Amino acid sequence: MSPSTPRQSSTRARAWGFLLPALLWTGAFFLAPLVIMALYSLWQRVGTRLVTEFTLVNYHDFFAKSFLLKSLLNSIEVTLIVTLVSVLLAYPLAWILAERVPRRWQRLALILAILPFWTSYVVRSYSWLLVLSEGGILSNLLLDLGITAEPVSFANNRGATVVGFVHFFVMLLTLTIYANLVQLSPSYRKAAADLGAGPLRSFWHVTLPLTLPGIMVGAFLTFVLCIGDYITPQILGGNRELLLPQTIMLQIARRSDFPMASALAMVLMAVVSLVYLACARWLKIDRV
Amino acid sequence: MTSRIRGITRRHGLLLGAAVLGAGLSFSATAGATEELNALVWCDHTDPALIAPFEEAHGVKVNLKEYEGTGAALAIVEQSRPGDWDVFVIDGVDVPRVVEAGLLAELPADQLPLNDIFDQVQMTDVTHKDGKMYAIMEKFGYNVISYDKSKVDPADMRDLTSLWSDKYKGRIAVYDYYIPLMDLVALKMGMKPDDITADKLPAMKEELFKLKENSVMVGEVVSSTTALATGEADILIGGGEWAVAVMQAENPNLDWVLPDQGGILWSQSLAVFKDSEKKDLALKFVQYIMSPEGQARLATSSCFWGMPANKKAGAALSDAQKAALRWDEQEAFLAKSYRYFIPDAELDAEMLDVWTEFLQH
Amino acid sequence: MRGPLLHLLRSLPLWGYVLLLYGFIFLPVAVLVLFSFQDSRLPVPPFNGPSLRWYEAVFSDARLLEALANSVVVALTSSLAAVVLGFLAAYALARHRLPFSGLLQGFLTAPLTVSYLIIAMGLLITFNALGVPKSLLTVGIGHVVINLPLCFAILYSQMGDHQANIERAARDLGAREWQVITLVTVPMLWPALFASFFLSVTFSWDEFIIAFMVSRFDVTLPVEIWSMLRSGLNPKTNAIGSFVFLISIATVLVLDLVVFRSRKA
Repeated sequence: MSPSTPRQSSTRARAWGFLLPALLWTGAFFLAPLVIMALYSLWQRVGTRLVTEFTLVNYHDFFAKSFLLKSLLNSIEVTLIVTLVSVLLAYPLAWILAERVPRRWQRLALILAILPFWTSYVVRSYSWLLVLSEGGILSNLLLDLGITAEPVSFANNRGATVVGFVHFFVMLLTLTIYANLVQLSPSYRKAAADLGAGPLRSFWHVTLPLTLPGIMVGAFLTFVLCIGDYITPQILGGNRELLLPQTIMLQIARRSDFPMASALAMVLMAVVSLVYLACARWLKIDRV
Repeated sequence: MTSRIRGITRRHGLLLGAAVLGAGLSFSATAGATEELNALVWCDHTDPALIAPFEEAHGVKVNLKEYEGTGAALAIVEQSRPGDWDVFVIDGVDVPRVVEAGLLAELPADQLPLNDIFDQVQMTDVTHKDGKMYAIMEKFGYNVISYDKSKVDPADMRDLTSLWSDKYKGRIAVYDYYIPLMDLVALKMGMKPDDITADKLPAMKEELFKLKENSVMVGEVVSSTTALATGEADILIGGGEWAVAVMQAENPNLDWVLPDQGGILWSQSLAVFKDSEKKDLALKFVQYIMSPEGQARLATSSCFWGMPANKKAGAALSDAQKAALRWDEQEAFLAKSYRYFIPDAELDAEMLDVWTEFLQH
Repeated sequence: MRGPLLHLLRSLPLWGYVLLLYGFIFLPVAVLVLFSFQDSRLPVPPFNGPSLRWYEAVFSDARLLEALANSVVVALTSSLAAVVLGFLAAYALARHRLPFSGLLQGFLTAPLTVSYLIIAMGLLITFNALGVPKSLLTVGIGHVVINLPLCFAILYSQMGDHQANIERAARDLGAREWQVITLVTVPMLWPALFASFFLSVTFSWDEFIIAFMVSRFDVTLPVEIWSMLRSGLNPKTNAIGSFVFLISIATVLVLDLVVFRSRKA
């Protein structure tokens, strides 16, 4: 068989032909904009003009002004808390859905879990504001039950932001962990049982490690989506503190300072890339 | 099995394709029929009650784009092609720099009711340049104090300093707009807003930090008015008629007042773009908005209320609406109010930095 | 006798946990729907007896309904484009040994690691620099950018050797490439195709930040709702949120009956 018969090279050509549209789209509408933004981050906005000389002043300002740097730290803190809480809450649910719910009800259970997220994200966030506000649902419930004597507010702080985030990411993580759990062959657990392991040990040493890829994929998605989200902290956080996306939007909306906003965006991307590298070995796509 | 699956795929594919095609066709049918006017506006101009009469009277369609802040609006304009926009609603503060940038067309002063506008609101030093008129004030109001009178002592609300005391700790919401809020802080410190300079900023920052410690949240229109509505906060500093008038019908406890130290006057103006290709239609739109009926509708628009600039609008407003706007006290209020302080670019950047630090505190 | 009882007791905490979590997930939606029937102007407690006035307001709001239609069109077309591009790319990489395959895979899935805010900013700056006017088309472009990697990843992961063998058999029997793809590959991958389309529609439908930044006059539903909310909290937004929720329940039911039942038969 010659290294590349005419049929093979036409197949090759066709393969590139199939691949090209997706490559071009990603290149033109994803990569190019990022490169342009990187360029902008090296320029500066002075007054109302764009000064296109290379300068690192935006990055310098970011590290020099403590209130800007703090927004990055806040974002990382909040995202880590959200990821941890969501994984801890989602895993048992995913496990129960995969192991204890009868097969024919599983799809329904999943759909029920996703359904609430078909309402608008913005409206849902405001609904959380109503639930958590002083004089809102939770506050009234606690009053009625006699647990508190006065209306209490749970909104307009970091806790409310975390609740809003966890609400969405618990669903996401339940799905990814569930998808992983159902693919596991029961023979692993049977083998562990045969070898004398109780259910707890079997879970800890067999099931949990095997589902780690599912957890890591979900956790990574959670991290990326959470750290870049503007709406939830803006609506529920009450501006008690600023997270990085809010700082970025401030640059755009109030000052149209795209260079500074781009620099902040580059910092955000750098952080996410670092996290990606840390999780890379779990994030490969395995083919069935 | 394969053939049935194939059948389903084909059926669904056809349905999907038909739906998409149908939707696409219906869109192309409606677009491009009538003459259109493109306006870059604040949210109070999107009320159909305001726009529909004009559209019907002239048989045109008004396309409205809302923007968050003047920075965003200028960015939108910078990034558009000439002729993309016809009408511009601008915060009174920002008119000079937009005029400087050469974006606005001259307005014919004789065809607009300039003399019917409240004297202090005419602001011809801002809207005119070299004897030519470039914008006209259409609406104004105050950034002062809104409050729930069943929860606080209304007498305290007449004194700005009471908000810095411990009496109302944790009951205050702060409106998220740095210029009027920092002007209010200046008033509290005994200065006039125009006295703000870079060396006063550190002292102002300390006052702002103390205010933050007393407050429960900082928010823009929706969250701050929601906070008042739910009882999360009892006081909104920076609020005014615009924050409570809409809710007063159902919650008569909500009220607003000008403190003794004075109030901050906000104003918004209407202008026409120099590159607009529909200047006649744009002018007609401005004339409609400035007419008593247009002014009354704008004043009570669903997004936020405010005083109409045109005094004659009083005839088109109901008594209840005038009471909510404190129509009869306007002359007194105007005498004690200060315009927004307009900093130069450098001071503006420094003030924004102080405000960002305030948010982060 | 003791067995089933013990079993029940042991599973009580499990079901308690499930109920608690589902309760948490549904809480804001329940509040949303409840207060869409609010009689007064503010969707805050106390609840004033049911009223349909806000639903009436929604259906007489032309801008809102237009935004709803725009959302549907953008979601369907961008998802279709994402699935097609993703399918072709996955087929190319899964069935042929191309150089730099790993790199290409990484490149195509890279957008998954970038926040929507950054993608939106990038598109905004680029379109402005090129003088491309903002519209629903630019929103659609942005949505394909975020959904293409997802479709590619899902479809690529499902194109295993098992299917490859069947395709080879079809080829050996004389089928041409386009026949192999349309008559063998696509039907076999139907669940994955459906899943990626469905997920893409879901993400596009509710996506806010890209739509907010790169649209001009014609906006999608989330952007219109955001604009509506600028005028203050309003049960009208609750009404549209509930309406969308009801439509999605209905859609899922219909899909379940039409698509899944007929496949089982």
